[in-house]
Amino acid sequence: MADTVGIDSTGKRDDEWSQCLQLVAHARDREAFARLFGHFAPLIKAFALNGSALAAAHAEELVQEVMIKVWQKASAFNPHKAAASTWIYTIARNCRTDLYRRLQKFDTPINADDIWPEAESDELFAAVQQKREATRIREMLQELPHEQCQILMKVYMEGKSHSEVAEELDLPLGTVKSRVRLAMKKLQLMVER
Amino acid sequence: MANYHPDTRLLNEYSSGTLPLAQSVCVSLHLNYCDQCRRAHQQLQQLGSALFEEMAPQQVDDSLLRTVMSRLDDEVQPLSYQSTPAADAPPPLIQRLMRGDYEDLGWEKVTSDVRMSRLRTGDIDNEFALYHIRAGASIPRHTHKGTELTLVLEGGFSDEEGHYEVGDFIMRDAEQQHSPTATRDRDCICIGVLDAPIKFTDWKYRVVNPFLKIQPS
Repeated sequence: MADTVGIDSTGKRDDEWSQCLQLVAHARDREAFARLFGHFAPLIKAFALNGSALAAAHAEELVQEVMIKVWQKASAFNPHKAAASTWIYTIARNCRTDLYRRLQKFDTPINADDIWPEAESDELFAAVQQKREATRIREMLQELPHEQCQILMKVYMEGKSHSEVAEELDLPLGTVKSRVRLAMKKLQLMVER
Repeated sequence: MANYHPDTRLLNEYSSGTLPLAQSVCVSLHLNYCDQCRRAHQQLQQLGSALFEEMAPQQVDDSLLRTVMSRLDDEVQPLSYQSTPAADAPPPLIQRLMRGDYEDLGWEKVTSDVRMSRLRTGDIDNEFALYHIRAGASIPRHTHKGTELTLVLEGGFSDEEGHYEVGDFIMRDAEQQHSPTATRDRDCICIGVLDAPIKFTDWKYRVVNPFLKIQPS
């Protein structure tokens, strides 16, 4: 598969990752796995380094853990339900959460896979719609004002609560909350009620 | 279908993984009952993944790929990660925390009509407990120092601000007083997640306050 970068590159690339995952699932294809590794391992490492000091200190361990899970769970990946990158991101999020709790010596009967159940039914919304939505979110993200995007980055990539973000940016909590709400509106997410 | 939902902040903190464990369990349980929030959560995960792809990639050494490759075959295939939403029974996650049924739990008496049972989630800051309120009875008027999350699992209750049925999610902040009353036709069971103790304001029940010191576990 050529490493083409075009105008619609993210969508096409996601098709590529989706194919790789299916090759891993059905043919245990190591070459396809190496391609996934090449793209996602550096992102997972960045995700680890952006997280808590504990996660950052174990960045390479997290990369290993996430990529091995990708290999093991590939057959559970359903290209009609999720984009490949979303699927891999959620594994990274779960592993980072579990890693943190493990290192903090949390004694808990629950792990991250219990907290974020996988999408169950596709009657919720069709595959095509989901794909269109993922593309839209990516595009709109580029147009988001920096002050909103910065907060979302801190919440999602650095794993900070709204209060922690407010403190770090020296903003009132209300301002952080309202910027997030504005971002939800702009991205047309159905979160607001 | 649920009529009361977690707000934007809670949903974002839940989806991104920044919400404390006990509160995450409470939001996750609400998702069992609520298509709308499940859908919102899926969208937020797409947002998370879009942000993920925006990060500057960090150089990974070739040796790491070789290490991972060499480890691919030594792990056993895990079981399916699918989880099924509940039909009539309590959601699987809560069954897991209870290790049995409501009847099997150790219940502590709070008043003659209200019992509670603390469940261990491993969260060191938040207490996670089940409350059982007899049909038609009330939890005495109380205030909160911190945040109280409530999710109705069985029956229903009302307070000054509304009426809540199974699956409804309520958040109360510090200093909001309320006195929830269970519906008359059946007992109410709900989850309460607290990061600070509640305080009964009615003199008759103040004697109980010292026993309500939260016990996160």
